[in-house]
Amino acid sequence: MSDDIAAAVKGFILEQFLPGENPDELTPETPLITGGILDSIATLKLTMFLEERWGVALAAHETSPEHFDTISRIAQLVRSKRA
Amino acid sequence: MYVEGAAQPGSRTNPERRAQGTIAPFQYLAIVAQLAVLTVLLRQFQIESGGFLRLALLTFAGFAVHAVLPLRSRLPFFLALSLGGIVLVMNVWNAAWIVTIGLMLVGLCHLPIAFRWRSALLIVAGVVLAAMRARWVPAPVSDAIWPILGSMFMFRTIVYMYDLSHASRPASAVSTLAYFFMLPNACFPLFPVVDSEAFKRNYFKTDAYRTYQRGIDWMVRGVIHLLLYRYIYYELALAPAEIISPAMLVQYLVTNFLLYLRVSGLFHLIVGMLYLFGFELPETHHRYLLAASFTDFWRRINIYWKDFMQKVFYYPAVFRLKSLGMTRAMVLGTLWVFAMTWALHAYQWFWLRGTMLLAPQDVLFWAILAVLVVINGLIELRHPPKRTLSGADQNWRRLLSRAARTYATFWVICIIWSFWTAESVTSWLSMWSALRGEYTIKVLLFPSLILAVIILGTFESHMPRGKGTLRLHSHTRDLAVTVASMLVLIAVSVEAISTQVGPQFATMITSLRSGRLSRLDVAKLERGYYENLLSVDQFNSQLWEVYSKRPETWLDVRGTALKRFTADFGQMELIPSFASQTNYGTVSINRWGMRDQDYSETPPQNTFRMAMLGASTVMGWGVGDGETFESLMEARLNHDGPRGRYSRYEILNFGVPGYQPPQDLVSVDKAMRFKPNAVIYVATGRELSRAADYLAEVVHKRIAIPYAPLAHVVAKAGLTADLDDVTAARQLLPYRGELLASTYGLIAARIRAGGATPVFVFLPQVQAGSWDEETPETLRIAAAAGFIVIDLSNVFAGQSIESIRLAEWDDHPNAKGHRLVADRLYDAISRRPDILPARGEHQLAHR
Repeated sequence: MSDDIAAAVKGFILEQFLPGENPDELTPETPLITGGILDSIATLKLTMFLEERWGVALAAHETSPEHFDTISRIAQLVRSKRA
Repeated sequence: MYVEGAAQPGSRTNPERRAQGTIAPFQYLAIVAQLAVLTVLLRQFQIESGGFLRLALLTFAGFAVHAVLPLRSRLPFFLALSLGGIVLVMNVWNAAWIVTIGLMLVGLCHLPIAFRWRSALLIVAGVVLAAMRARWVPAPVSDAIWPILGSMFMFRTIVYMYDLSHASRPASAVSTLAYFFMLPNACFPLFPVVDSEAFKRNYFKTDAYRTYQRGIDWMVRGVIHLLLYRYIYYELALAPAEIISPAMLVQYLVTNFLLYLRVSGLFHLIVGMLYLFGFELPETHHRYLLAASFTDFWRRINIYWKDFMQKVFYYPAVFRLKSLGMTRAMVLGTLWVFAMTWALHAYQWFWLRGTMLLAPQDVLFWAILAVLVVINGLIELRHPPKRTLSGADQNWRRLLSRAARTYATFWVICIIWSFWTAESVTSWLSMWSALRGEYTIKVLLFPSLILAVIILGTFESHMPRGKGTLRLHSHTRDLAVTVASMLVLIAVSVEAISTQVGPQFATMITSLRSGRLSRLDVAKLERGYYENLLSVDQFNSQLWEVYSKRPETWLDVRGTALKRFTADFGQMELIPSFASQTNYGTVSINRWGMRDQDYSETPPQNTFRMAMLGASTVMGWGVGDGETFESLMEARLNHDGPRGRYSRYEILNFGVPGYQPPQDLVSVDKAMRFKPNAVIYVATGRELSRAADYLAEVVHKRIAIPYAPLAHVVAKAGLTADLDDVTAARQLLPYRGELLASTYGLIAARIRAGGATPVFVFLPQVQAGSWDEETPETLRIAAAAGFIVIDLSNVFAGQSIESIRLAEWDDHPNAKGHRLVADRLYDAISRRPDILPARGEHQLAHR
């Protein structure tokens, strides 16, 4: 399941923020916030996607790099919210 | 909180993490060697203050020990070093207060009560401390602690409490205290808002050697920023009153914004230092000159502030307002962030400077920037900017388009920045009248330079970066650039090398090697002696940093003030028959209103009398009775002076602190009542600008000008009472010479009409500076007006500044300085038979 979450998140990021980018370049550990891929607008869009896709409610503090900086952390966050 | 060691890096239960923070011996030596070179560089260019150099030495020596300690000992060592740094910079007593108050605040954060009550207690504590800062309640602490205490706690407490309320992983006591008291902060009141989670999360996160090297890279980058800042600050910065042409306006807009290099330079130094101790924090600025939009500018300049706003204010607001729709929530969230930025900027100003910042241009600046960022944000929502994982883009059309947008953004930022830093809205508006001036090819200079930088920077930023081996080579390249930069800068700082390039280059390097005030700030500091310091505006103002060291009761007269206001052109005079104890000794004003012993109105028989006119240096600001150069010279004349017709000498001191040249017209009339044989007018630099400033002031205050030649010049300049300071100064600029010539001419004429000899003495400031630019013309005007000119420009030559001035924030000569002047002036005057009669010679009798 976590692989499905990670794959879906990856797909969303590629489609919305990195169109035309080689998917293999975006790994589960690629820094998204600290790497400059996700700015505030992109972070909010991603938040909306996560909430709508998996019916979870995210809090503001959960957009920090601790939870949002990589695909694997995002997937972990969603998993913990659904548990 | 828990005791350090259980879950921090270096835990014994985690072998990989135990290896963190270790570097090979040759890597250690490479880092230490670079730090030694960096120390030389900091010293050669006198980067920041002596306090900073001591702190840097402590930091680098601390690194040498820290890097070989076991990982679990490093954070406690860093904390100890940080506390030691506070003692080193602030002295033991002030450090004790800072740490005590700080521990109290941290303790409040961790009281075993509900979060809301802890927050309430913190607010109460903050209010009490603010009352002390504002001197509404007495505080047993020195004013010196507030900027540092404020910078440590004013924002970090907010971030820390926010993280406490959401913390999944509690911080250790050592980590928390290291966060608040972190080492470089003791020297820097202006400090980046380090995020507490980032501080914990990034501790020895990756390879230690790369971390340490990056720290050095950033510190060197910071030094380069600071040197570039100095060049702009000393050589290129203009005062608004000087802007009379489109080229000068463009120069002002660009250089005024680029003064921000001081902030980016300092922040690079600060974070670079933290890297030496394993804190791999994000960069503080990211090529902010290459911002292609206002949102991009907001994201690149002072990134820590942006992250702080985003974390504590923006996301909570947007999440709360989501029900309104994401677009509305984002717009309102952005406006909220800028409102809070304005408020917290004023809050920061209060803690650092002790006053409230309530300027309309400050409110308008943030409002304008908010609107621009909102508009950009809405555009980005519809048309997201292109991103790539590598940041590379090889589409040259897109890059040129980006460069064009960056260029436009840069100029808009320069314009609104100039508005933000203006003394007033009216002075900013009047500055634009320079567009009606003469257009020359020079108007293209700065725009062309900026365009070149932006195009090159845009293309360079989007070049493909290497991976793997190529990335390794880029680290080697960065190391080479860092080391080469340090060595080149040190080399050119050596006079024997810089002179090989050329005299102009050598002169420029020499000027960059000291952290003095610019000519504009020295002029402001002088004005600050006599008026509340005006717009010590920007946070990166070196002037503010000097002036903030000035004790509140510096040289204060205990009891009544020395001066009183008068209704005439002079506006003020010393209070007659007044004596007071001051911090520097007794100040006695005689019955005639002179800071001097008593004299009869008519000179006694066989007495050679001189009157001395001037301002605070003549009056003897900062020295006690009998220590002024006037009284020393009088005593020496009576002891050693030529005898003949005159058996006694008197020098009457008509100096008044704050007097500008035109006000001495009032003094000379007073002086002539006492029938002097000679009148000595003492000038101390910047006579042209000070005379003009005073006339602008009297016109603004609608004070009548009873001297026809001065009134004529004022009329020619078109000065009216409703003009702001900047416009008035600009209109008077072409007439300054004529104004001073009229002033000196009137003074000399009054002296000669009274049968006395007019003498002009030029006294320099205690340290060399741009004030000297006006000296040659001043001396020429004085000679043309009929004065006997005595130029004492080199009276302080060979003396160290510290030995002859009162304090860093007060350039008046001290007692030693006065003795030097007295001796030189005695020598100069006693050899002039046209001033002082020689033995056996007679002078014109008194009327």
